[in-house]
Amino acid sequence: MTRRFLSHEKFAALVAALLATNTRVIAPVRAKDDPAQFDYLPIQKFRDAEFGARLPRRSAKEYFLPATEVLLHYKQTKAGVEIREVPTEAPPQVILGATPCDVAGLEVVDKVMGWDYCDELWFGRRQATTIVSFLCNMMDATCFCTAVGLAPDSFRGSDVLLVPVAGGYLAHVITSKGEALLQGYVVEADAAALADAEAAQNEARQAVEHHLPAIPAEFPGWLAANFDNPVWKTIALRCHGCGACAAVCPTCHCFDIVDEHESVDSGVRRRNWDSCQTSLFTLHASGHNPRQSQSERFRQRIQHKFSIYPSRFGEILCTGCGRCSRSCPGGMDLPKLLGELMTLANPGPEARNP
Amino acid sequence: MNIYQPHLMRIREITDETVDTRTLKLEFQDSGVAEQFCFSAGQFGEYSVFGEGESTFCIASPPTRTGYIECSFKASGKVTQAMRRLAVGDTVGFRGPYGNHFPIEEMKEHSVVFIAGGIGLAPVRCAILNVLDLRDQFKDVTIVYGARSVGDLVYKRELEEWAQRSDLKLCLAVDPGGETPDWKGLVARIPTAVEQTVTTTEDTFAIICGPPIMIKFTLPVLVKLGFPGERIFTTLENRMKCGLGKCGRCNIGPTYVCKDGPVFTAAQMRELPQEF
Amino acid sequence: MSELNDLARKLLSECTVKVVIGYEEGSRGVRPAFITDPEQACKLVFDTRCVQNLAAYLNPRRKQITQLGKPAIVVKGCDARAVAGLIREQQITREGVVIIAMRCGGVLQRSETASELTSDTVSVRCAGCNDRDPKLFDHKLGELPPEPPVNPHRDEQIATLEKMTSAERWNFWTGELSRCIRCHACREACPMCFCVQCTADKTQPRWIDPSSTPPANRAWQTMRVLHQAGRCVDCLECERACPEHIPLGLLARHVANTMQRRFDYVASEDPSVAAPYGVFRPSDDEEFIR
Repeated sequence: MTRRFLSHEKFAALVAALLATNTRVIAPVRAKDDPAQFDYLPIQKFRDAEFGARLPRRSAKEYFLPATEVLLHYKQTKAGVEIREVPTEAPPQVILGATPCDVAGLEVVDKVMGWDYCDELWFGRRQATTIVSFLCNMMDATCFCTAVGLAPDSFRGSDVLLVPVAGGYLAHVITSKGEALLQGYVVEADAAALADAEAAQNEARQAVEHHLPAIPAEFPGWLAANFDNPVWKTIALRCHGCGACAAVCPTCHCFDIVDEHESVDSGVRRRNWDSCQTSLFTLHASGHNPRQSQSERFRQRIQHKFSIYPSRFGEILCTGCGRCSRSCPGGMDLPKLLGELMTLANPGPEARNP
Repeated sequence: MNIYQPHLMRIREITDETVDTRTLKLEFQDSGVAEQFCFSAGQFGEYSVFGEGESTFCIASPPTRTGYIECSFKASGKVTQAMRRLAVGDTVGFRGPYGNHFPIEEMKEHSVVFIAGGIGLAPVRCAILNVLDLRDQFKDVTIVYGARSVGDLVYKRELEEWAQRSDLKLCLAVDPGGETPDWKGLVARIPTAVEQTVTTTEDTFAIICGPPIMIKFTLPVLVKLGFPGERIFTTLENRMKCGLGKCGRCNIGPTYVCKDGPVFTAAQMRELPQEF
Repeated sequence: MSELNDLARKLLSECTVKVVIGYEEGSRGVRPAFITDPEQACKLVFDTRCVQNLAAYLNPRRKQITQLGKPAIVVKGCDARAVAGLIREQQITREGVVIIAMRCGGVLQRSETASELTSDTVSVRCAGCNDRDPKLFDHKLGELPPEPPVNPHRDEQIATLEKMTSAERWNFWTGELSRCIRCHACREACPMCFCVQCTADKTQPRWIDPSSTPPANRAWQTMRVLHQAGRCVDCLECERACPEHIPLGLLARHVANTMQRRFDYVASEDPSVAAPYGVFRPSDDEEFIR
């Protein structure tokens, strides 16, 4: 990892060069339906992007795991069935101005996507993508990245982290991919830029650290041991089981596989986003459903993210972005719930020694 | 080729086991794949009807018999209904083998008791045939198999072959009311049949599969007979899609049925949260 | 709001109900409350932030709630029409719920912060409201506030859509619905989508493909909104739930306008008034059948 300086002019030139080579460049863009909101969208011009304004409404995961994607094409013939493969190599793309919470999520999901069987579709896109993240100064009261071991200046999942300083950016060049991207555009960073960046990074961390305490190491074990705790019966009464939280989450990756006809004798097999919050997720063909009410389904969400995934992969399946809470139509608030569960797990000296 | 792409299989033979249960004998269309393909008893696959979808079944034939695999299924949902409409010569997709397997190696030099109910014989049959194909490497072999009625017994051809063998003890049972006038087997539920048939647990493994209610009432019998939890094996099923640990659907607590299972010991089952 | 808190405490301590479903302070505005302890009744609030239609929580499929016992529910007049719909369609009985109706002068379009109701901040659904003084209730609370300011935004959008040619409207909706990821959050949040098995989830036969593709998305959304014809109470929970911010309320409103024009029907607060889909009259408009 090296630190360099990238001026505003050079940054604009870099992006213009990428756009000229028809590399897809994805960046935060002001939403048409609501000018106060932002989405990660492909840009045609550098000016279309606005950096550091607001956390985009949805995560960047759709550029690696689309809401729907074709796994294969099939065609019935007189001789049987022909399969046409889909490419696993993806065209190059750059994600610009991603928040650390979004890109860290990619590295977290890499673990399950690479578990024994390599998901070539996911990794094809991962390999084809260079990620330039920005120091986050957009936190609101719902953010809690530091509680899950990340930070507004986390390097995880990123190739370059840009920190705004006078005249441009202090560029943390994290990977060789990042180095290749910035080659020719960056210069030595002077002491002032280094100091400014460090101060900005510290300030950002302090702005979010107090939102939720760090999840203790014992928490995954407590969750596993408290599978039958009565708290699950009441903690999610207001949850509709709508799955909006999973749609906007940077780490939710559960999917369904379906076949669809495109004509009488041909069609596709697709993989589609799915969510453990829906009532059909675990429904057997026999009609039996191991998770019969929203209490059990919400328990699964918490258990998967904060106990099961950590126990299998050593990673919390959450990056603290807070989108689940912001998007919930039923007023569920995950960081608040986590805080309540953590207090239940560790009531504090007063409760233990009344 | 990505991990979700199945091998193409051709249906070589169709056997109707019962009114609603069918067995397909499948062979790989690609001889290179056929040559390389190997699996262990207890593993499963994702079988597809193109245009309808995929369904999860165990591999019902043993690894000792090469050149084909078999699966047995009941036509219950969209995919299995479509599978039932296929004919010999039609194409089926297959992804696998997935999951863990029965401890065939560890069972060598020991005795085995196989217990199955209804279509639960399918995953167990794979292990039974595996053992019988290597018969002299195992001590005593006992099979207790039952169903609701005579009509519901599957693999009738094999049942007749096993009845002829002198190197295994076979007990067939149907539930009270399920017998026919010429039924020669037991009229009793599985737990009772097991009690009457299994005399020793010394140096013996138990493999059991069947409807959840059968397992629920038979496990205590096995425990009472003296089987330790580590020597009772069963296979679990759960709603699956990818079969290889990524789609997030089949977990029971931290255990993924497609990766840590589908074969589990009774001791492992006791540790699982009650969510299956 | 002590009138509401007192009533809730009384209903719970006298065991008239086992749970009061209402609103309480949340992290970003208010959130649904499920009060089972009379001592917690003081948590209930009612103000312009109370946008959410709570009737969805009366759905009999929600076992985690039904097992709490007989509910009381805090509703605005518009929400009460959803409760009436659930009673009309026999999902709940009239005796099975205690309805606490609140006189209402409008709610905010965005409920995160309390702010004054102006024509910019008021919810689009409050325009033309006839339910400020609710007609379906066991208890009616609050003073009748003045009429809310009118937020013309949605009616303007609808007028624009209605002026479009078919082709233009097709393009508009294909574009908007291209973002639909088939998460069905709209359905789960809707009080009137209570089917045990949704048509979109049927596999035998599969009426609508489950993937996010233009034809399937169009089929899903138009089917859902047509299934809501005469039933939808325009609460906009569908739009609030949609993670892709598709203006589903425009479709719902358009269908509701059509039902009003053709059948002179608005989803009624009276459970005994039959909805058009449940009734045939020889005078029904049939000009659309060609």
